Amino acid sequence: MSLNTDFMVKVAQTAIQGVPVTLQIVLVALVIAFPIGILFALIRIYRVKGLQRLVQFYVSLVRGTPIIAQILIVYSAFPSLLNMIIGRAAFAINPIYYAYIVFTLNAIATLTEVFRSALQTVDKGQMEAGLMVGMQPRQTFWRIILPQALISALPNIANTTLYLIKNSSLAFIMSVKDITAIAKTEAAFNYNFLEAYLVVWVYYLIICYAAEVVFYLLERYFSKYRRPIKKTSGFNWLPFGIKQPKLERKQS
Amino acid sequence: MENIKLIINFLGQLLPAINITLIVSVSSIILGSLLGLLLAAARLSESVVLRVLASVYVSVVRATPAIIMIFVVYYGMPMLFNDWFHTNIDGWNRMYFVIIALTVLFSAPVSEIMRSAYESIAKGQMEAGLMVGMTPFQTLYRIILPQAFVVALPNFANSVINLLKEGALTFTIGVVDMVAKAQMIVANNSGGYAWQTYCALALIYWVISLAIDKGVSQVEKSYQAKRKTIAV
Repeated sequence: MSLNTDFMVKVAQTAIQGVPVTLQIVLVALVIAFPIGILFALIRIYRVKGLQRLVQFYVSLVRGTPIIAQILIVYSAFPSLLNMIIGRAAFAINPIYYAYIVFTLNAIATLTEVFRSALQTVDKGQMEAGLMVGMQPRQTFWRIILPQALISALPNIANTTLYLIKNSSLAFIMSVKDITAIAKTEAAFNYNFLEAYLVVWVYYLIICYAAEVVFYLLERYFSKYRRPIKKTSGFNWLPFGIKQPKLERKQS
Repeated sequence: MENIKLIINFLGQLLPAINITLIVSVSSIILGSLLGLLLAAARLSESVVLRVLASVYVSVVRATPAIIMIFVVYYGMPMLFNDWFHTNIDGWNRMYFVIIALTVLFSAPVSEIMRSAYESIAKGQMEAGLMVGMTPFQTLYRIILPQAFVVALPNFANSVINLLKEGALTFTIGVVDMVAKAQMIVANNSGGYAWQTYCALALIYWVISLAIDKGVSQVEKSYQAKRKTIAV
């Protein structure tokens, strides 16, 4: 293999400017989609009349169509729509806002499903116990149900985040200057596409693994309450002895 | 009203290009499932090297965006073949590159699904099969697989839909599939009726994924019905 290593170093230096853009898209999408996803999940669970059908339709539509089609629709429909409202200024809008729209819509759909399954994992008894001790239904939801549901949703939220990070690489179609777009323009000068994409690949791997580590730590921190207080070593050092190994007792 | 008419019109123009999408998806589903099977077998094998290799492969592929995978395969494979085998594959149909990339992308989740389905079947089933005198292969084929299949089916369908959506990126390396066709139509209309065209495109994909969803839930239902009758 004859890779142009000098060029790879150069691309690595320039493409790093795209990392914040990618992260920005992912974070904005997640932050906006989070509360809406919970709301939609509640609509699905409590079967709110009329709205339930709408949410179901929306989720199946977004999950059943490729992101590229959504990007093309939003990128072709919104500018002309805005043009009718605010005039020519619509074409001067930073395309990153369109990326926000597309990925937020996507994140809402996936997070709705995630929260729906997570809220269903919480036992009904939790709600009843909360009501029993005299809490309002709303209070019980906020203080008892939601925290537990969020913890069991964490692995799936991590998956959603990975999915968003990976798909944010398509933002270059909307001429957003993210990692992929920068590498692509760099490579187009003298057809060093392979080198550029290898660099981008490494960047995405790093970002994805970092996100996975963050979520792993979050999960470990928040699921503390589930772990037994008793510390078991997991391995019996005295397999043939009559005495069982002493288990350390640790305070919380 | 006029928009709906336009969308139906564009649907008619886009549908002929569907066979490229289907060829790409179906062949990468078949190849990807085979590769996934091998990977799952590697993950479950005794050898530490195989297990580590398979899990590294899965975690790397899982973190790779589809478009980067397609580009790396498209630009990287000809170079690799040139240097290692001294053959020129630049002239290959570009569809092959997409199929290879999607196969790699599909194999990772599928191997995970197969592994978890296999592990979800109680060990006693295997032991019982061996007990009554079946060979290990027979037990796997007749006892374990039918049960694991039902467990794996919903997740497998989910990955198939994901693959279908990732397959929409075929156009980025110049294969004329539905997305490329849609872009051509928009270009022919000099940028007009853009969102109607893309809506028609999205509609086709949506119908395909709805069909997969429905089909899978039908199959699942029939399996569950069978299970019940046996249990009674």
